[in-house]
Amino acid sequence: MNEKPKIAIFKFTGCAGCQLEFLHLEEIFLDILELFDISYWVMVKRDNDETGWDISLVEGGISTPEEIEEIKQIRMKTKFLVAFGDCAIGGCIPSIRNWTPQLDAESQVYRDTSVIQSTKVFGIGEYVKVDAILKGCPAHRDTIVELLKSALLEIRPRLRQHPVCVECKFRDNACLITSKKMACMGPVTSAGCGAICPSLGRECEGCFGPMSNPNTSALASIFKDLGFNEKDIKRKFRKYAGMSPEFRKEAGH
Amino acid sequence: MNSYNIEKKDMNILLDRFLEDYKVFGPTRPGADSTFDEITSIKQLHLDYTSTVLPPKKFFHPPKETLFSFELKNDKFTTKESIQDKKILILGIHPCDVHAILKLDKFFSTDFSDTYYQNRRKNTVLVAINCVEPSEHSFCSSMGTGPYLDEGYDILLTDIGTKYLVEIGSKTGQKLVEGVNLRKATETDFHEKERRLKLMEKKIKKFMNTTWLPRIARENLDHEVWLDLGEHGGVDGSFPCLSCGSCSLVCPTCYCYDVYDTMDLSLISGTRNRELDSCQLLEYGEVALGDNFRRDRKDRIRHWMLCKFGAAAGGKNSSCVGCGRCIRVCPSKIDLTEVAKVIRGGKQR
Repeated sequence: MNEKPKIAIFKFTGCAGCQLEFLHLEEIFLDILELFDISYWVMVKRDNDETGWDISLVEGGISTPEEIEEIKQIRMKTKFLVAFGDCAIGGCIPSIRNWTPQLDAESQVYRDTSVIQSTKVFGIGEYVKVDAILKGCPAHRDTIVELLKSALLEIRPRLRQHPVCVECKFRDNACLITSKKMACMGPVTSAGCGAICPSLGRECEGCFGPMSNPNTSALASIFKDLGFNEKDIKRKFRKYAGMSPEFRKEAGH
Repeated sequence: MNSYNIEKKDMNILLDRFLEDYKVFGPTRPGADSTFDEITSIKQLHLDYTSTVLPPKKFFHPPKETLFSFELKNDKFTTKESIQDKKILILGIHPCDVHAILKLDKFFSTDFSDTYYQNRRKNTVLVAINCVEPSEHSFCSSMGTGPYLDEGYDILLTDIGTKYLVEIGSKTGQKLVEGVNLRKATETDFHEKERRLKLMEKKIKKFMNTTWLPRIARENLDHEVWLDLGEHGGVDGSFPCLSCGSCSLVCPTCYCYDVYDTMDLSLISGTRNRELDSCQLLEYGEVALGDNFRRDRKDRIRHWMLCKFGAAAGGKNSSCVGCGRCIRVCPSKIDLTEVAKVIRGGKQR
């Protein structure tokens, strides 16, 4: 390889957790630097190159008019644009505010809302073309590495879209829905986490967003049958991916 | 073959003997959500369990395994097999699960020989235990796979009150009990076994009529029950299928797997891996350029059930042993014995 591919990492409306996940690749971080030139990463570097990038990892959703302009600029200077984590994919937790009228939401935080210019929170795909997505809140470090390696090898990354239930069974866990009558989001949520929560006896919260072709209405009726009320069920679907086409209906649209 | 008996309180003697030669795995919790884990002391062992989450399939055909590693050096590829030759003993397998292993044995040796499976299998000793307490979902008596066993074991235990009847099924089994001070089994022990197993059979509440079932299933590919299962629900009180894959992942006879490579960051070496797959997942039927043979949920659940009813793959390899795990694990309460009744036309919904 003559020249290392250039990577940029950006943050919009989100918590920086996905960037931290990247930084936490400590034991292989130097190997990654052998393969890539991370030329733009404000959180980590003093000098940043803004001339253009081969791969841009964009964290966070879009929530202001300035951000809309910025993401369009990034798209123009990027060959391969990655929605890095749930916020960039569909707004994630910040998008919960989309169910509250704009002015109400703003005045809950700011005394003088005249200085605030905000829009509904959407994923970056609302405004620009996205080439790949890394699911998760935060995206799992293994999937980050898988995507970067595949980019170098020019092959399709192996990013599974099946439900958490698969990973849960791999770990020999009893089903929390059938055994403990808990409202677990596992059957509609994309895997990738290794079923961390159910393995600790906690129901899945859905932080990897929708799996491929989820049967959300079936799960909602199962939750109802377990005794959960409609409001709680809506909240469950709203929490991480309420704006996604898959969860929208159950989230109360 | 020889038969013995052993007081239940002396089971630790037998376990200690097993531990001399083998890593021992057995059910570690009572009830239906038990798991087969490593046993190092008798206190961990719960032979009174009713079922486990994953079947013992996980020891021979694990959810994830590395098949071999590869490396590109000086323009030449080298590979290194990962050989599994640990000697293990599985203690307390139920008859249905032994029958499932016999089915897997056939699949992984008949049309092609799977070294990875066979290496593990030939290094494993099976100490089975006859069922005396069925789970509410078991229907093994319909499938001819339980509640008692007459093949496939090295040693077979039966709970006969304060004692276990110990029947030997192979040379390996015989060798294992030599040197352990066991009493010869008596006529009374066998009568008690007989009595208890008859009693057990009466406790089974679930049945599946398998007469002509593969053919009935094949002739009912367009039955409305498949759409009900996939989208509407209401098959004996079921919710629509979630396509979560749990039924097939906990099935002791489902063997479908995916093979993929993982490269190291060096980009010159890596591993080839195998992972348990499920026909319930959308990606299972996906081919190059994104087309999919089974895009609809109804097609996926039908595919799995046909397999379990013995109608897939020419009825040769897969099919069901009646362990009931798929029924217990299904969040949508889908019950394949009820589906069998529906396609037979014997049940009005």
